[in-house]
This record gives sequence, C-alpha cells and structure tokens, in this order.
Amino acid sequence: MGDSKNEWELLVPIVPFLLVAPSLKFLAGWESVEAAFLIVVVPLLTFPAILVVGQIYNGNETWKQRYKEGGIFGLGALSLSLSIAIWIIYDYVVGSAHFEAHSVVDPFSWLTFDVIEQTGTQWEVSTGFADIGVGVWIDSVTLMLLFVATFLCFLICWFSLGYMNTDKINEDSNHRFYGEFVLFAIGMFGMVLADNFLWLFIFWEIMGLCSYLLIGFYYWKDSAAYAAKKAFLTTRVGDVFLVVGLLMLYDIYGSLDFAVLFDNPSTGVGGAVVESGELNWALIMLFIGAVGKSAQFPLHVWLPDAMEGPTPVSALIHAATMVNAGLYLVVRMVPFVDVHVNGVAGLEEFALTVAWIGGITAFMAAAIAFVQNDIKKVLAYSTMSQLAYIFTGLGAGLLFLNIDEHHAGYFVIGASMFHLFNHAMAKGMLFMASGSVIHEVHHAHDHVRELSEKYSTNEGDDHGDFDPQDMRNMGGLAARMPVTATAMMLGSMSIIGIPLIGGFWSKEGIIAETWAACLHEEPLMLVPAVLVLATAGMTGFYMTRMWLMTFAGPPKSEVVGHVHETTPWIKEPLIILSVITALGGFALALLGASDYLGDPHHAELSYHGLLDTLEHAFLPEDSYLRLVGWTTMLLAMVIGPVIASRIHGGRLIDGVEASPLVSWLVDLSSRFGSQDVSELADSQLAEALQRRLYFDDLYEVALAKTAIPFAAFSAWFDANVIDGVIKQIESNSATGSVQIRRITTGSARDYILMAAVGMISIFALLWGVSN
Amino acid sequence: MSSMFSDLGLHEAILLLPEITMLSGIVALILIPNLGDATMRIPLTRIRVPVLIGGTRFDFTSNPRLPNHVTNAVLFLAFFYAALLLNPTNLSEYSLEGGPGIGNLLVVDEFSRVFTLLFTSALLLASMATATRMPAMHDVTIPQESDSPETADSKVMALIDNRRQVDFHILLLTTGLGMSLMAMANNLFMLFVCLELASLSSYILVAFHKEVDVGGEAGMKYFIVGSVVSAVGIYGMSLLYLWNGNLDMADLAASWSAMEGIDPLAGIGVGLMIVAFAFKVGAAPFHLAVPDAYSGSSSPIAGVLATASKAMGFVALIRLLVIVTMPSSGQAVWMLAIALIAVVTMTWGNLAALTSDNPKRILAYSSVAHAGYMLAAMAAIGSGLADASTTSMILTAVVFHLLVLVLFKLGAFLVLSMLEAEGRGHRMEDLHGLAVRDPAIAVSMFVFMLSLAGVPPLSGFLSKLLMINGIVSVSAGTGPASATSVLSWAQGVDPVFWLAVAIVLNSALSLFYYLRIGLVMFFETPESDSPLKSSPSLEWPLSLRSVIMICATLTLLFGIGPMSESLLDLVSSAVDSLLSS
Repeated sequence: MGDSKNEWELLVPIVPFLLVAPSLKFLAGWESVEAAFLIVVVPLLTFPAILVVGQIYNGNETWKQRYKEGGIFGLGALSLSLSIAIWIIYDYVVGSAHFEAHSVVDPFSWLTFDVIEQTGTQWEVSTGFADIGVGVWIDSVTLMLLFVATFLCFLICWFSLGYMNTDKINEDSNHRFYGEFVLFAIGMFGMVLADNFLWLFIFWEIMGLCSYLLIGFYYWKDSAAYAAKKAFLTTRVGDVFLVVGLLMLYDIYGSLDFAVLFDNPSTGVGGAVVESGELNWALIMLFIGAVGKSAQFPLHVWLPDAMEGPTPVSALIHAATMVNAGLYLVVRMVPFVDVHVNGVAGLEEFALTVAWIGGITAFMAAAIAFVQNDIKKVLAYSTMSQLAYIFTGLGAGLLFLNIDEHHAGYFVIGASMFHLFNHAMAKGMLFMASGSVIHEVHHAHDHVRELSEKYSTNEGDDHGDFDPQDMRNMGGLAARMPVTATAMMLGSMSIIGIPLIGGFWSKEGIIAETWAACLHEEPLMLVPAVLVLATAGMTGFYMTRMWLMTFAGPPKSEVVGHVHETTPWIKEPLIILSVITALGGFALALLGASDYLGDPHHAELSYHGLLDTLEHAFLPEDSYLRLVGWTTMLLAMVIGPVIASRIHGGRLIDGVEASPLVSWLVDLSSRFGSQDVSELADSQLAEALQRRLYFDDLYEVALAKTAIPFAAFSAWFDANVIDGVIKQIESNSATGSVQIRRITTGSARDYILMAAVGMISIFALLWGVSN
Repeated sequence: MSSMFSDLGLHEAILLLPEITMLSGIVALILIPNLGDATMRIPLTRIRVPVLIGGTRFDFTSNPRLPNHVTNAVLFLAFFYAALLLNPTNLSEYSLEGGPGIGNLLVVDEFSRVFTLLFTSALLLASMATATRMPAMHDVTIPQESDSPETADSKVMALIDNRRQVDFHILLLTTGLGMSLMAMANNLFMLFVCLELASLSSYILVAFHKEVDVGGEAGMKYFIVGSVVSAVGIYGMSLLYLWNGNLDMADLAASWSAMEGIDPLAGIGVGLMIVAFAFKVGAAPFHLAVPDAYSGSSSPIAGVLATASKAMGFVALIRLLVIVTMPSSGQAVWMLAIALIAVVTMTWGNLAALTSDNPKRILAYSSVAHAGYMLAAMAAIGSGLADASTTSMILTAVVFHLLVLVLFKLGAFLVLSMLEAEGRGHRMEDLHGLAVRDPAIAVSMFVFMLSLAGVPPLSGFLSKLLMINGIVSVSAGTGPASATSVLSWAQGVDPVFWLAVAIVLNSALSLFYYLRIGLVMFFETPESDSPLKSSPSLEWPLSLRSVIMICATLTLLFGIGPMSESLLDLVSSAVDSLLSS
C-alpha cells in the first residue's frame, strides 16, 4: 500500500502536450479545424512509441516509476487530443465563422480505383471510378461524441495509472496495456472525425481489434481469452452486415462521402430518385452493425463476458466509447430519414426496428441485472439497458423525422444524445468507482491473507476462491470508501433518473416522446413505450440494490474491515466526474442541451428556454404525457429503490460512521423494513435470469450444430485438399529440381556441350521462322 | 578509329567524365601504392633526387586499405558524374552539333548514362563490401569465431595487407570501365571489345580466391565456357560484317530492314551473337557455368555478376534485337527463339533453385530465373504486336528491373558476404536463426527475398508487375472480343500472352525457396548465438550493415511512392532516348 498522495511531479512530461493547442492558436494562428487531424495523428505516433520503448526498457525502474510504463506518454497524447477537442467545441458553440453547415477539412485522395468495363466489343477504362480520401467532418454529433471520447479516454488513462500500475499481475506488461489503450483511442477519435463511411468503418474495426486485445489482456486466463474471442466474433457478425449496408449505400449513392450522401439523400447516383426500399434495407444492415457494437439484443451476449478485461478497459469500452459507436452510426443516419430536409420518405420500418430493438434490450437487460452479484456485471447490464434507451429514443426520433414531425424528432434525438452524454459520464465514473472498490477489496484481501498466514497455520485455504468483484463479499463500505461511495451514489442517481440530476432530463425526454409517438402517430410504438417505462422502475431497483449491497448494511466478509481508499491516481477522475454528473448535466439541461444537440442550427445554448425545459419535463400540456412523466418519476424514484431497500438496505455496524454525503442514504435505506425474498430467489424465473435468459446456451448450441462442423470441415479441406495439392506440387517440383540439377555436372565440357545444343536450337528456330 | 581521337575535345571529355574518372582511377591505383622513397643519382654527380617510384613505401602508400578507399572514391565520383550527365539539359549542352555521338563508335545519351549509373553503383557496393575481405597469402586464414578479438583483428590485417588489394581493385575498375563504355557503343565491334574488357576482368575476379579450390575451378570453368561463347559471338559478328560490310548499328539496322527475306549470312550471324549475349545474361542452356561461378567467387563479386554483368548482357541484347534486327512491322525473326529460351530459362532456374542447399547457388539460380522474366518481356517486343509506346513501356520495365536488382540482389549477396566474413555462407544452415543473431540484417535479407519473389509493395514487385503488364497489354487485345467464356478467349489469344502466365506460375514456384530462406532465418535455432561480426576493422564511414539496411530501405522506397515514380520517369525518358535515336 503506497501513500495516498498523488505523484504530481510525474505529470511534468504532459505539459508540452498541453501547450500544443494554445501555441497553435496564438503563435501559429491556426484555426481549430485545421488542427483537428492532430487529435488522431498524435496518438497514432505515440502508440508505436510506447510499445517499442516499453519493449526496450521493460523492467527498467525509471520507466516504471517515472513514466508508469508508458502511461504518462499515453496521458500526454490524450491530453493533447482533449485540448484540441475542447478548442473545436468552443469555436463551434460560440459560432465561429468557420462552421457553417458542416465543416469539412478538404479531404486528400487516398485510393483511386479505375474500372475496365466491356461495352459491346470495346474495353473502356473509366478513371477515377471511386476516389476515397481522408478528411475531417465536424458537426454537432461529432462534437458531442468527440468530447465524450477524448474526455473520458483522458480520465480513464489517468485512472489506469493508479489501477494498473499498482497491481503486481500487470507488472512489465503495462506498456502493452497503454499501447493498446492509445490505439483504441485512435480508433474512436478517428471514427468520430471521419468524413466518409469507409474511414468510419476502418476506425470502427481498429476499435474492434483493440477491444479484442484489451478484453483478452490477461490472455493466459482461459476465461479472458474466451471472452475476448466471444466479443470479437459477436461484433464481427454485426460488422458483416455493416459492410453489406455500406455496399448497398454505395450502390445507391455511388459514394460513401458524407458530403455527397448528406447533401441530398433523395437523389442517388446519376440523379436517380432514391426509393425507400433498398435504402430501408441498407439502413437496417448498418443498424445491425450498430447492434453488434452497442451490445443490443440479439447480439448482446459479449458485453457481460467482456468484463474479464481490466476495469479501466471496461470503463473505456463499455461506457465511454466503443458501445457509443453504434449510437453514433445511427445518429449519422438522420439525414437519410429527415424528410424535412431532403430525406427519403417511407423509412418507418427502419425507425420502428430501431425502437423495438431498443425497448426489448432495455427491459431484458434490466431484468437480468436484478440477479447479478458481480458488481461489474450489474454495470454491464445497466449499460446495455441504458444504451437501449438511447436506441429507443433515436427510433422514435427517426420515426418523427420520417413523417415530418421535425420539432418532436429533433427534440428526442437531442434528448437521446444528451442521454448518451449523461450515461457516458455517469457510467464511466461508475466503472471507475467499481474499479476502485475491486482494487481496494483485492488489496485488503491480500493483506488479510498475509495476516492469516502469519498468525494461524491451521486455517484452511478458503481465500483461494475469494472473488473481489462479488458484492456478497462487500457491504458496509460506505464508511471505508467515502469518495467512491459518493461518486457511485451520484452515478447511480443519474442512471436511475432522480429528478434534477443529469440523466433525469434526457431519460424523461426519451420516455415522454416515445409515448407521444405511440399515442399520436404509430400504435406499433406501444411495445417499446411500455418496455422503457417499466425499465425506468427496474433501473431504480437494480442500481439501488447494487449500491446498497456494496456500501450499506453490515460487512459481509472480514475483508471489508481492512479496506482503505489509498491508491493514488484513482480519486481525481471520480471527483471530476461526480461534479459533472451532479451539476454539469443539470446545467446543460437547463441550457436546453436537448434542443441544441438535436438541431444546433435553430437552437442555442442559453437560459432563455429555462421555463420551457422545466415545463417539458414536469408539466407537459398533453395530459397523457403528464401522466407518463409522473409515472416514470414514481417508478424510478420511489418504487424501485424502496423495494431494493427493503431487501438489501440496512445500517452500518455500530460505531462506524459514513461521511455525511452518503450516510443519509444508508439511514434511509434501513427505514423501510425488510423483506425476505429467498423464495423468489429460488424460483425458475430467477434461475433463468441468472443464466442470462439462456441466450448464451442457445448460441452455443446453435454454433455447435452449425459453425463448428463447418469449421471442422474447412480445416479438413484445408489440410487435405488445399495443402495436399500444394504439397503434391512441391514434391513434384522437388523431383523435377533434382533431375534438372543433374544436368549441371560441374564439368566445363558438358557446359559447352549444352551451349552447343542451345546454339543449334536457336539456329533451328531462326531457320524455321525465316522459312 | 582515327576519327575518334581527332574528335576528342573538351565537350567529349565532359561527356565521358565517368569513364575518364575510372581510367584515372586505374592509373592512380597503379602509381600510388608504388610510391616510395627511392632516389636516383643524377649521373656524373652525387646528387640524389627522389623519384618516388620504388624503394621503401611510405606508410601512407602501404596502407592496405588505400586501394579500397581510392576505388570507392573513384566509383562514387563516376556515379556522381553519370548522375549529373543524366540531366538532359546537361547532356544537350555538351553534345556536338552532329548529335550525341563520339566518332561513330560511342553514343552518350540518357540510356547509356542510366546504365553507367547502374554499373558504378553495383561496383561501388561490391567494393565497399570487399574492404576487409581480401585473402593475402596462402597461410593466412579467415578469422574464426573462436578467435579472440585481437587475433581476429590481426588476421584481418594480415588478410588485407597485400598488393593483391591493388590488383583486385584495378580489376574492379576495368570491369566498370568496360561495362560503361559498352553501354555507349554504337558499333557492334566496339560493343564486343568493351564487353570482353569487362568479361575478362570479371573472369579473374571470380578466380581471385585462388587459395580456395572452388574459386580457381569456378573461375577456370567460367573462363572456358565464356571464351567459347565469345568466340562463337565473334564468329557471328564476322558473318554480319561479311554480309553488310561494316558493323555500325544504324547501318546494320537499315540493311536489315531493306533485306528481302532473311539472308543466311545475316541470320546465322545474329543467331551466333544471341548465343554470346545469352551467356552474359545467364539464359538457359548457356547458364550452366553461372551457379558454379557465383558460388566459387566471393559474394560481392557474385553480386556484381548477377547485376552489373547481367545488365551488360541485356544492353547488348537490347541493342542487337530491338535496334538492329527489329522489323518495322510483323514478328521479329528471333522472337520464337527468345520466347522459348525465356520460358526454359525461368523454369530451369526456379526448379534448380528449389532443392539447392547453398544460399549462393539459390541466388544464382534465382538470377537465372530473373533473366528468363526479362527475356520474356523482350520476346513480347519482338512479337510485332507492340507499338512504339508499348515497346517503350516494356523496355522501361526491363531497365527498371535491372536497376532495382542492384538493390535487392546485390543486397542479398552483401548479407551473404557478412556471413562469409566469418567463414560461413555456403550452406543453408549458416542462415539459421540469423534473426536472433542480427535482427536488422535478417529483416533486410527477408525484404530482399520478398522483393526477389515480387511481393508488393517492394520494388521487385513493381518491376515484375510492369513487365507482366507490358506483355499482357500487347497480347490481351488479341483475344477475341466475341469470346463468351475464359476458355474460348484463351484459345484465341496470341501465344505471347502465355509468357505472362509462365512468369506468374514461375513466381509462385519461386516463393518456395525465397520464403524458405525467410523461414530458416526466423524460425530455426542458430548454430551459434554470437552476434554477427560486422567486418571488425572496417573504417569506412558506412559500415556494411548500414549499407545493407540502406539497400533494404531503397528496395521499399523504389517500390512505392514518389521515389519509384521519379525513377520510372528517368528510366522511361532514357528508353525514349534510345528508341528515338
């Protein structure tokens, strides 16, 4: 256990990185957009540097202590990305002249394809058939994601300095962690900034690769290797559809550039009018890609297992960045659907698909989260559920836009994106807080084991299967970990949607507008609307349950007594994100963030719309929506948490006092009486939820019946037919080779003989040709 | 001949600067090591004046590395001058009113200067690799691994402390001089004389390691076979002289196109000359002495044979086939012969390399196979299907291939030369685990192998692609456009198309042995763990290792990107200068 003071002097190497953005602005006079490429390029240079230097200096003390095995460099590069992102956002929000409709940095040509076509009896070469360049595309969607990604990557990297570098198991392999971490960040930043779908896809795949590498960071553990493989393959299913969707888009529009596609989506290649049929399918294909990446039903199975990775990775992939990529992709499709500006009418099926998938996932994931005991798994299912909210909102928004209800549409899309922001901040923090809990419990456990080995020799080795992630080993930590408990409380409140905290505003918007879509426009929206409403209460239950099991009640294992919140580098990100969650979301909501994010050209961030915002949230004109709104609040704030308190609440043990910020909650939780649910916990439903509704088993059986026999056949075919043919060629060639080398006898006489043979052959050939 | 000397003026001297540099290098190499403190008494007096020649040599002149330094400097200067002269404005500024010719014998144009560049760079690389590699006396041995550093150093010093250094380097320079003049020859006779100057020097260079049995034997065999085919070639030339009355190429070309049918004298003459040049490029079945010569000589010399000497043969073939005997329309008389030789050559080379266990022989056979690829491209020119632009395109591909071969073929021989410095390099086992012993060298060697195999994005790929592209673009148009299936199209296409298919199939076959070298370097355990010695006492600013790595980098840079494009532009304008003259 080190001391809890942070090693601030280690941050000195970061200063030059931080100075880049100001010096470009004030000394070199660059525009923020011109510097945008640095967001990707600088990490791109840092990533190989960390790996190479780390390999060379592996085990070196200075490298370990001063540079945190490369973490400091990673942090530097990410801080530069963050500073430039903030600069761009500032310019955008204050309305700098360089952001008109969309700002595109001129792309430079990367690949040019020529195509040879046979027309009649002629072969024609058309040059520049496809021209694929690299550029930067910035609009309000980009900015929101860019901020979330750069900011959270930076904080999580910071957190990792504490989490990763103090654990013996990671020693001497952290450069691999930071290298992959930075590469992952490159993938996310690049995807967000890309100005066409091809580059978006390339960076998307870089992320996929890094998620595989990072989830399998402890590759020697079978479970980690399995989880990495599962995550990779599951998302791959979605990616195949994504590629198909991209090809269909290319077929329709003859380009994948945003500038071409979004300019007028109702006009295809060669000025043809775009019908909704093929486009509908193209968008659904793209959406399946998003489903894979964002872990939605039915491609959700990888996310819970992905918790095998180190906790910062969970925070990075499953909260901050990668899962948001799917949402980003769907938001990018808004121009196709928005009939108010050149969109293509008749895409309701697509919008409904999005909303339904969202609703189903939200409910299902929340239900499974009820019975999870692993703190990270609860958060994983919560992530799925919350992302599903956003998908539902986007689905409703797309539906509104497609039938030209653009005010409602923009609002709910803005609300969804605002929820993305709130969720990313809260969930990133929750994961880091859970990491903090796990880390300290783990250390405490090591400490306890040392003690027990010291003082008692006859105690059995019952610590061998101690799981530091299992909430049944915790309880009462509110007293031991004040910062973590507070952070986790605020994060949970935001996720639940307690009024006035960030998540409330966006979730309220989504649920209300989904119901509005159902009531006023499209009866088929009823299913997602009911499901998201029910999920609001369920969220209240499982988040409260998680907090209470971890922090309230009496300690459930002796380890708890030895937990201390001492590791450096871990607390700062928690505090920063707590403030953002508690106040930032609130402030942004009052500034009208939902309106602004949905339609930045007509809305602005200001307090003028304050009353409208409040009214929209609490007292909408429509009486149905008022009912829905108040029901949501009742479910999320009262019913869910109270039930959770009755089951899991309770005071800390006597003589221990939690900090005042959280002690009220512990007290409150003990006042609702208690309820025994052991009968319910043994029921078949609970069993089914424990087994994750049998999806994993189903997939495994399906794969065992289809893919595995096919793979076995392919392996046989490869080994026998393909290899066989090649080996036959090889052995025949070898025989020929031995024969032909016999001619090279080594005697000059024979050489001259052969030359004579050659000469006579030449004569014969010349003679034959000339006659 | 007298006209040549009467024409020699300042302009000609400037145009011939690379050759003059090499010539003065030879003179300097003869003089400098003989400088000493000898004095001579003026007759009838007692005054002794220093005459410098003879006596006890000065420290400076007896420095064993001096010949090497001089040669390096001379070759570098020649390279530099040739590069300067490549600039068309420089060329035209100094060319005479009557065109770029000097006498009726030499033409200084971009084409010949590109080849001067090639020859000097190949020889420069070889010379740099030879700095410490010259065995001196019978009782001197190459340092062994077991030797202590001091012993190894003293052995190296003994190895190089000898007059043989001078002989060796003079021969290198005469080879360069012969090649460089030969590239400019505008007259078959001149061409042959220069070719022989270069060849005879190279025979001796091959046999230079007379202490080793294989060295002498290889040189002897190479010399015997070489002189027989030279005699054949000279005989063919005499027949051409008999037919035409002179050997000026422009005149021969005019007579050839004016000829009705094929005059037997001319036909036999050309056939015999093809034999001589085919031996120089290492085409089957005249190549049999080549693997022996490569494995018997030291690696840098083998590299020179595989690059510069081969390029010399191709210059002669291009002059003879494309300039002299190419009919204005229709198929050339030699096309079938060259096409068959090409296919036999590439297949033979690749097959023979497949089971060879001596890396030098593998590289030798690979060099034979590459000659086959280039001959196939030549055959496509002779098919009569190529118009002016495709002819120029194919020739560009061939010349580009010859140029980049210097980088990766010679580079591979330089790697073997590093192994040779520790007494290895003749068995596949010597390459085992090179990646462990010296990763940078192993990676470079792997790059060379991939480039030889033609793997993108390396320059070997680009040149091979251009050749195949040339063959396909002249022949694919002959396929019937009405063909509905690939098969019926294939039946109708001109047979030249199948040359491209032969190249592709052979490239696939060649991957077996190129990748095998990569395999043993990276996946086998080395016989010794000691790091590769980088020529212990090399005082040249660039060590051999860095030269090899530069070659590997350039192999990549000339394969993709702006550098490859500018080199291609250079080669293509050089080829145009040849075709337009």
